[in-house]
Amino acid sequence: MKSETTKEINVSTWLIENLLKEYTLKYKLISQNHFEFTIDKSHLPIASELLMNDSNLNASLLTITATDNRESIDQFEIHALFSLRKVNYIITLKAYLDKSNPTYPAITSKVPCANWAEREIHDLFGIVPSGIDLDPLVLHRDWHPGKDFPLRKDFLKDKQLPISDHELEFKFPHAEGLHQIAVGPIHAGIIEPGHLRFCALGEEIHKFDVQLFYTHKGLEKMAEGKTIPECLTLAENICGMCSYSHSTAFCLAIESLADISIPPRAAFIRTICLELERLSSHMADLMAICSAGGFSFASVHAARLREVLMRGIHKLTGHRFFRGFNTIGGLQKNVSDEYFRELLLKLNLFKTDFDNLVKLILNTDSLLDRLELTGSLSKETALSLGLVGPSARGSGIDRDVRRDHPYLLYKEYKPNISVNDIGDALARTKIRISEVYESLKLIKNLIEDLPQGGILVKTKSYLPYSPSLGIVESPKGESVHWVMLDKEDKIFRYHIRSASYMNWRGVAKATMGKNIVPDGPLVNKSFNLCYACSDR
Amino acid sequence: MFDLLKVLITKRITVENIPDLKNLDVSIFEKDLSKVCQLEPAVKQALSRSLLVRHLDTGSCNAEEAELIALSNSIYDISRFGIEFTASPRHADVLAVTGPVTRHLKIAMERTYKATPKPKIIIAIGDGACNGSVYEKTYACLGRVDQFIPVDLYIPGNPPTPEEVIKGFLVCKMLLAKKEKKNG
Repeated sequence: MKSETTKEINVSTWLIENLLKEYTLKYKLISQNHFEFTIDKSHLPIASELLMNDSNLNASLLTITATDNRESIDQFEIHALFSLRKVNYIITLKAYLDKSNPTYPAITSKVPCANWAEREIHDLFGIVPSGIDLDPLVLHRDWHPGKDFPLRKDFLKDKQLPISDHELEFKFPHAEGLHQIAVGPIHAGIIEPGHLRFCALGEEIHKFDVQLFYTHKGLEKMAEGKTIPECLTLAENICGMCSYSHSTAFCLAIESLADISIPPRAAFIRTICLELERLSSHMADLMAICSAGGFSFASVHAARLREVLMRGIHKLTGHRFFRGFNTIGGLQKNVSDEYFRELLLKLNLFKTDFDNLVKLILNTDSLLDRLELTGSLSKETALSLGLVGPSARGSGIDRDVRRDHPYLLYKEYKPNISVNDIGDALARTKIRISEVYESLKLIKNLIEDLPQGGILVKTKSYLPYSPSLGIVESPKGESVHWVMLDKEDKIFRYHIRSASYMNWRGVAKATMGKNIVPDGPLVNKSFNLCYACSDR
Repeated sequence: MFDLLKVLITKRITVENIPDLKNLDVSIFEKDLSKVCQLEPAVKQALSRSLLVRHLDTGSCNAEEAELIALSNSIYDISRFGIEFTASPRHADVLAVTGPVTRHLKIAMERTYKATPKPKIIIAIGDGACNGSVYEKTYACLGRVDQFIPVDLYIPGNPPTPEEVIKGFLVCKMLLAKKEKKNG
């Protein structure tokens, strides 16, 4: 324990006195393990690059976000968040931007995975990261850029602009033999909306791109001015697949701001629920993979297993998607031990069935033939795109928030993280299978050690205008919630960066490499991302 | 099974308003399904027809989609009612709309509505589509569905359970029979 503390001190002093010394104007500790460095805006790219390239830190970009503080300090703020996975540290690089000329040199020029985050800031705040291509991302082309920026405070909450029909533009080459296939935004199956565009040479996919943000509802604007419980309901409704991860991440952020720790029983139950959500989401993924691979028998099998889990969840929490279960400081209601014993019995049966399903998936040549070498993504590409979750672990990147920044009970109950270096659709499938086994093991251990006691602590006061962070490993990967409150304990700024948001560019890249058009859906399903999560 | 009929049709459509269903005693479904034989011929005929459903996401939170997918699993097995999801709105009897309408999907929604042949039934599934749910009006979120296209049936819930959606689809069969009759 003692050596660990010295190491921690060393890392922070090393950061302050060596790595970021010449750029730091000011630094402060926001919460345990979270440092904020205020630097000049011109140094943002170079400081980010220093953090990312240092092999001792194992850093990755969490998110970049901005706030409009023109009312209080006449400036915009930009926050770039990095996770130092090796040493369990979060670093924020903060810079002030002048309100009349909000530009700064783009971080994307040095850290490529910042691309979407910076384009989003440009769309919503009108802040210009200079030196990169600023195609509209979150707002489609019929929104007039350069005039209205919805996340600025002077943009009224319910102001709407006229909608006009517009052609989608893709930067595809035009040559003889090349043709384009447009899919969406309304798809043929029961899937969420998004436009996928193939540029194919015969059967082979030459280029591929996606136009997302069709379900963009402006949740970040919606949250502003809401009270904390109201915003929690909003967080639960970001996405159905990862609804408990989102609400837990929001709760963790607010709880760290109020500096409270929830009672042990609540922490146990939350951890169990997070793992249950992973189970049910992974079953949906396996179902989708099998059905896209043309193996309907296994797909039906997986669908039935998912329904068994959903009913278990319903019985435990009172809702099939965990809604209305979380609250700030613990849980809305207690669940008696009896229900957990029943759940354990159910999960034992589930495991037997799941064993059969796995045998089926891994021994059917026709399915394996579809999955092998389909949608390959090398480790280097995955790293440069900043992939997270099972998709990253399927490409050999060893990252998982449960181990790197342990929250709730993951410090005591460490999951084994499985990593697969191959990077194809089969690798991603195998990662999910081993994660299901790992989750089952975790749930069993947690239920056996479940303590008695209260489930809710009262929250005291919150720090105004202080950023706080909740990071949770959702079934699709790390999801980051960044919250800032105002003086009346209402939401000043709420930023959500979901796992799917980071992984979509991975889908586009993986579809392009040596695949044929019929493989498109399979590659997409092997990631199985949420549209609602990334669009918000 | 039809206990929710009354609840479901909360807004404009009620079972009582459908002439052929005036005498339908919903309690007979609760205990003994074999009593379906005792239904009025008109109702029986309405229930016996097939139904093709086209799902239309106008900005939902993915939970409604998960429940609609669950309808096809071997536990709910919606095809035993003669209900199928179709790939094209041109083949559909029913448009099942989920989610509050977003700015970016408004045009796509209107086009899908136009592409669906008459007589068509539009159902709003989930709180988002029925009343906007927790989603306030913003620059990108325009609110509930019936501001833009007429809605025949509301299935509220966050999201509604698969059982409720099945019940809603069965009501759709009757509404469709009624619409066809009216159109001659």
